[in-house]
Amino acid sequence: MTVTTGLPAAALRRPRTVVVGTMFASASALMTYFGLLAVYLNARADARAAGSEWFPDGVVELGPSGFVFWTLILSTFTVRWAVQAIGNGDRTNAYVAMALTGLFGAAVFNQMWFIINDTGFSLDGSPAEFLFFVVNGTFLVFLILAVIFLALTTLRALFGQFGPRQDDGVASAALFWHTVSFMYWVTWIAVYVTK
Amino acid sequence: MTMSESPPREATAESEMLAGVPAGLYRWLSTTDHKVIARLWMGAGSVLLAAGLLLGAAVSAERLDPAEVGLFGGLNSYFQMWSLYRFGMVLLVAVPLFVGLATAVIPGQVGSTEIAFPRAALAAAWTYILGAGIVAVSVVAGGGWGALDGVTTGEADAMALTLLGTGMVMASIVVGSVCLLTTVISLRTSGMNLMRVPLFAWSILVAGTVWVLTLPVAIANIVVIYVDLRGGPLVFGEPEGSTLIYDQLAWLFEQPQVYSVAIPALGVLGSVIPVVARGRQVSHPAMMVLLGAAGLLSVGGWSQPMLAGDNRDLLVFVAFGLAAVLPALAFLGGNAATLKAGDAPVGLPPAHLIGALGAGLMFLAATAAGAVRVIDPLELIATTADTGVMNLAVAAALLGAVAGMVFWGPVAWGRLLPAGQSVLVLLLLLAGGLVAGLSDVVAGLADAPDVMLADQGDGVIDAMVLVSFAGSLLLALAGLGLLGTLFSSWREGTSLDDPWGGHTLEWTTPEAWAETKVASEAPLLDLASTSSSGDDGQEAS
Repeated sequence: MTVTTGLPAAALRRPRTVVVGTMFASASALMTYFGLLAVYLNARADARAAGSEWFPDGVVELGPSGFVFWTLILSTFTVRWAVQAIGNGDRTNAYVAMALTGLFGAAVFNQMWFIINDTGFSLDGSPAEFLFFVVNGTFLVFLILAVIFLALTTLRALFGQFGPRQDDGVASAALFWHTVSFMYWVTWIAVYVTK
Repeated sequence: MTMSESPPREATAESEMLAGVPAGLYRWLSTTDHKVIARLWMGAGSVLLAAGLLLGAAVSAERLDPAEVGLFGGLNSYFQMWSLYRFGMVLLVAVPLFVGLATAVIPGQVGSTEIAFPRAALAAAWTYILGAGIVAVSVVAGGGWGALDGVTTGEADAMALTLLGTGMVMASIVVGSVCLLTTVISLRTSGMNLMRVPLFAWSILVAGTVWVLTLPVAIANIVVIYVDLRGGPLVFGEPEGSTLIYDQLAWLFEQPQVYSVAIPALGVLGSVIPVVARGRQVSHPAMMVLLGAAGLLSVGGWSQPMLAGDNRDLLVFVAFGLAAVLPALAFLGGNAATLKAGDAPVGLPPAHLIGALGAGLMFLAATAAGAVRVIDPLELIATTADTGVMNLAVAAALLGAVAGMVFWGPVAWGRLLPAGQSVLVLLLLLAGGLVAGLSDVVAGLADAPDVMLADQGDGVIDAMVLVSFAGSLLLALAGLGLLGTLFSSWREGTSLDDPWGGHTLEWTTPEAWAETKVASEAPLLDLASTSSSGDDGQEAS
């Protein structure tokens, strides 16, 4: 009989489960949003082919939507800052970065709300107005989900669950944030710039 | 001297109580045990399967005399039940059965004791059950996916409820699939790289990816339609009656998308054949590539009418339809070669072999019928050929799912299914699926419209409708038979740890995984080969 003694085997190093799950969820969210956007673009192409006007001139302005675009660009840097800081064990910088990202999220929500109200569109108006509501409303839903994800991650970081050896949660929240930002950048070009 | 001790597979109710495991309803609501979660998916899926196949027989009976639409009480009800059958068989039955089977089997196959995100997996299972309930209730209340004879205000409300339930079911499938995909990607045991993943797990990786990427496109459609019905300009709820809602979602039940439902059935085939043949797949990597190709050719989100218009004009649509036959044919050929090269015992084939082979043949029939459907001069689109292709693909999925339940019964719920009853159910599914599916394709060649509202006055169509009804009856019997078989298994099923001599890790205990070196896709076969060569060596010395 052989008796061996020694330290217990090290835990298996697994690929980052939360990040992988978030990657699939983000892909799913992107497909939902781009499915909506495809419906929008198709309806607009049909309207143009029929010779009818999509939006009246001057109703959907580029300026406010551009602010949203640049705010989300800024938030991309701050959310990466959070990931970098938590990976380096620099908690103070990580908290500041996550708080700033959340603030940018609130600013985007505010600007989107202004844009939707500024157009004066109604949900039961023309198909163009209806689809404008649906696309922007769905983006707002995803933005709220991203802010909630980030807030929960920040709370968990405050309670010490993430650090240099375990930054999966922050990396996942950042991944979803990038996904939502990407949604808007495509929307900005497809809905606002090429309106 | 080596001593190994394996705990019993199934804990008794008494031992669970002593260990503090919650019991009763609380257990079903709070469990993180992937096998309990799997039972929720499979239990609900099996009940809905029997109900769906009975509904299919009723819809088929209604087509016998379309002028006297009396079974459901009117044209609108007929359309609701016709569309409920299609939606139900694909999204309430076939996909959930595979999600459930995979939830039970895949963690063990990849050498993990748990599924990734078990609470999300549990929430998905309950969301599916709740969504299915909402769909059923709302359709009975006058909802559904459109109306032929006008939409009243009450019906519009019920339709919105149907859409809510539809969206919930789709979301639950997406979440359940994300849990499974993450398990395969992240929770594999040491030594198991992606090329060594068993074929069933690989097929779920392929099909799950297709579901995760395409069902959200359908959810996007549902969002547009739902908001439209609840306060929009009513593009989809025209008061004079419309099938626009169904038309917008029909791509889910048509080729190429409907093939994705049956891809896990090929995974079951690829897992069962080597075990029966007592050998290895002739080329595991080639089988993986073929499953990947089948998955790629079943992506159908782009083919919806709102985006693609009349998609029969699209070259890519025709190319997808024709090319889908090739991986199905090659996959069947590879498995036939494995069976031939192996050492399968002579005699009556076991139930899971009948089911798995039937699933492979049915999938080939579905893709062949689909290839015929895309040939433009035949003008089969929007005829009963649509239903025929769907019936063949769904029958392939059901055969695969039931074969999987027979094969992995001891793993999933610790009991074997009765062999005789299982064979009967699988033969009924095979015969019913082929008869119902092929007769609809032939009726389509005679220009029978998919939603048949009046007698077509054509001898061929009348005959095929009758044959299709006979097939539907066989399928309905199979559905009831499956419920009886599961009940028998629950009451008096025998419990064996590994009755077939399985090759993959789910057939052994978690304690043994740590000691099993994974050097191929069949680690237990490797272990058996090493042991037998060791014994031979001992005997020789």
